[in-house]
Amino acid sequence: MKIYQTIVAGGLLTLSLAGCGGGGSDDASAPALSADAALGEKIFNDTALSASGVQSCATCHDAAALHGPGNALPAQFGGPAMDRQGLRQTPSIRYLASNRAFNFDAEGTPNGGFFWDGRAVSLADQAGQPFLNPREMANPDKAAVVAALARAAYAEEFRSVYGANVFDDVEGAYHRMTLALQAFQLQDQALRPYSSKYDAFLQGRGPLSDTELRGLAWFNSPAKGNCAACHPSARGDDGSPPLFTDFSYDNLGVPRNPELAVNADPAYFDLGLCARAGADVAGRGDLCGAFKVPSLRNVAVRQVFFHNGRFKSLKEALSFYVQRDTNPEKWYPLNADGSVDKFDDLPPQYRANVNTSEAPYDRRRGEVPALSDAEIDELIAFLNTLTDGYTP
Amino acid sequence: MTRQLPALAAALAAACLALPPAAAQAQTAPLPSQAEMAQILQQLSTELAEMKTQVRQLQQERDAARAAAAPVGAAVPTTAGASAAPAAATAAITPAPATGIETAAAAAAPAQPATVLSSYGEINYSRPTNDSAKTQADMVRFVLGYQHRFDERTKVVAELELEHAVASAEDAGEVALEQAFVERQFNLEWAGQAGLFLMPIGLLNGNHEPIAYYGVWRNFVETAIIPSTWREGGLQAIGTFDSGITVNVGVSTGFDVGQWDASSSDCGASPLGCIHQEMALARAKDIAVFGRLDWRGVPGLLLGGSIFSGGASQAQDGVASSRVTLGEVHARWQPGRWDLAALATYGSISNSAELNRPQVGNPVLIPESFAGWYVLAAYRLWQDEDYTLSPFARFEQYNTGRSYADLGAGLTPPALPTQQVITVGVDFKIGQGIVFKGDYQGFKVDSKLNRVSLGLGWNF
Repeated sequence: MKIYQTIVAGGLLTLSLAGCGGGGSDDASAPALSADAALGEKIFNDTALSASGVQSCATCHDAAALHGPGNALPAQFGGPAMDRQGLRQTPSIRYLASNRAFNFDAEGTPNGGFFWDGRAVSLADQAGQPFLNPREMANPDKAAVVAALARAAYAEEFRSVYGANVFDDVEGAYHRMTLALQAFQLQDQALRPYSSKYDAFLQGRGPLSDTELRGLAWFNSPAKGNCAACHPSARGDDGSPPLFTDFSYDNLGVPRNPELAVNADPAYFDLGLCARAGADVAGRGDLCGAFKVPSLRNVAVRQVFFHNGRFKSLKEALSFYVQRDTNPEKWYPLNADGSVDKFDDLPPQYRANVNTSEAPYDRRRGEVPALSDAEIDELIAFLNTLTDGYTP
Repeated sequence: MTRQLPALAAALAAACLALPPAAAQAQTAPLPSQAEMAQILQQLSTELAEMKTQVRQLQQERDAARAAAAPVGAAVPTTAGASAAPAAATAAITPAPATGIETAAAAAAPAQPATVLSSYGEINYSRPTNDSAKTQADMVRFVLGYQHRFDERTKVVAELELEHAVASAEDAGEVALEQAFVERQFNLEWAGQAGLFLMPIGLLNGNHEPIAYYGVWRNFVETAIIPSTWREGGLQAIGTFDSGITVNVGVSTGFDVGQWDASSSDCGASPLGCIHQEMALARAKDIAVFGRLDWRGVPGLLLGGSIFSGGASQAQDGVASSRVTLGEVHARWQPGRWDLAALATYGSISNSAELNRPQVGNPVLIPESFAGWYVLAAYRLWQDEDYTLSPFARFEQYNTGRSYADLGAGLTPPALPTQQVITVGVDFKIGQGIVFKGDYQGFKVDSKLNRVSLGLGWNF
């Protein structure tokens, strides 16, 4: 079961809040959505499109939580009865407009794609999958979704945009629904406001504090955090603001999370990229354990981190980064012989895939971590500047 | 060495001719000592060598004029080297070349082919003495150019360069237009150029063909501090005066500090080379100005300097306002068999603190200043027919990160160590168009870079 949970439920309270949440921008100066995008916004917020009747896209991609989950669950709940836990942590859907389909670049490095394993080729492809995921919106088939669409209050609008007989063709209507969701995500400025303190800093509209600036230095420094190696902090060649992801994949050896119900089975391992649906890279054992590098924009408002939601604070996540190899006993269980069961969320044959060559992982047990506790705090101060909605 | 005998005889004869006034002086002053006589002989020998050089130059100009009389179509492939090849070829045979002036002066020459093909190539082999695994051979450059003369006062010059032999998506090579400008000779003194031209900064940039400089590789000061080959788009006026003064003034495109890649070692190796635009969809909001003044009032001597200054933020959002300024002074003296040169340069990028703040922690921040200088001495040790052997030595010192603007304690990068490089080697020329080179370079800061290099260059 390598089904990815993009949209899962977190609880009735969350659901009711999310049901009110929309993706529409609050910015009065933002351009109006096109007809299909406006339709996509309604679909995005429609709980009637789930088998439970209480879950929409916005339930997990909560605008109030900057389009991520608004709770500390390692994976959200969904299904017809909202009692099935997902398999992975729900990422934010902000800042995905420039992402592209999965590919191997000229150097053979995998990048791009949507979901933690890159299996969706576009926003539309990604948007169409949770409706049918049994751990998420759990519709039995596309026909059920299209039938729900035909009953929606905006069904006439759907017909107006896509044709009077659009609902007669299930595949066609379903495809158009995903295109409407894609149009909404591409057009809604709320999904890429670039309104953080760091954006203001880059635009020359305000400084970072000394602490934040030192945190940025640790973030950028190849000898310290080396975060920018995968989460670039500099503007693009065309002057575009940084997305804090290079859309690549990495294997970090994140510890197993006992809070994921599926992990109760000791034989279960989430292998990520090499085991994704479609099995297009199934022969690449070297990619087992690799997951997509997420954007760090708004990371400070998240309550769980990494694909399996193993850590619940930035301090814990960053400490893991720099102490994984210097103090592995802090993060992994001990074997019967007292040795550390390092990279315990991977089968033994894939543990060699874990990135141990780049800073801050390039250290041995007992060595000094790349960042001190105080430097981690400064780095966190910087990461807090990546939260949207800053007013200078 | 037998070739030296006629020259020595001529020098002695010249010394004899010079004796009468000396003898007259002897009535009121002591006779010159043996050492003074030797000095006089040396001076005469030097002047004789200069005269021979001038005679050779005149012969070449005469040959060029003859070649120009041939039909254009037939002349292009066979006479280009001897006729009016673009500035590069002319510069190679001119002791102290004038940047941009070669082409301007050519307008006064007799009728020449309307279209002339030119080319130069550079093949190098380098073996680090302490790290032989990095031994490399490279077809560094291959350049094809042409000059087309619309009339005796108006022409167009262009050069297309291929670096590293193969340019494709998978290869490191690069194809670039190095020059593409038109030129008009307004009168005897003034000419104007418009288009993409080499910036008249330093000794090497305008005359960068392998035949025109000593050593397998271009010197570091005029690659790391003054980028080469540095070209911009713009307009310039070139004035050449009987007093020996040459002037270049112009406006051009400039640099783009928004291109700075703080994670790239390329930017650390050459700050301006990292942010130059080469007229490839160049951001052109900020206009730069430049000027150069050279003096050749004494045969064999060149003294000059140049300056460039231009905005470099190009009005980009989020790129703090900044200005790049670069200045240099240079000298070249060619007394007899000697060829001596020196150059000192200093550059700055203003407002670098603001530019660097978003990049703190990265390995390569924008320097506030960078500088360098070098001295070079070459000696024409042996010459036979058209073979010439010239050993040389060059010492250079440069720093691409001489200082950094203050970013706060713990965040401001320390100044980079000043690099010192000594190069000793020999150039062996065949005629004026082919050169074989060999040298050794010792690096003071990082001896792992020490290397032995061999090179082949040609130019016509």
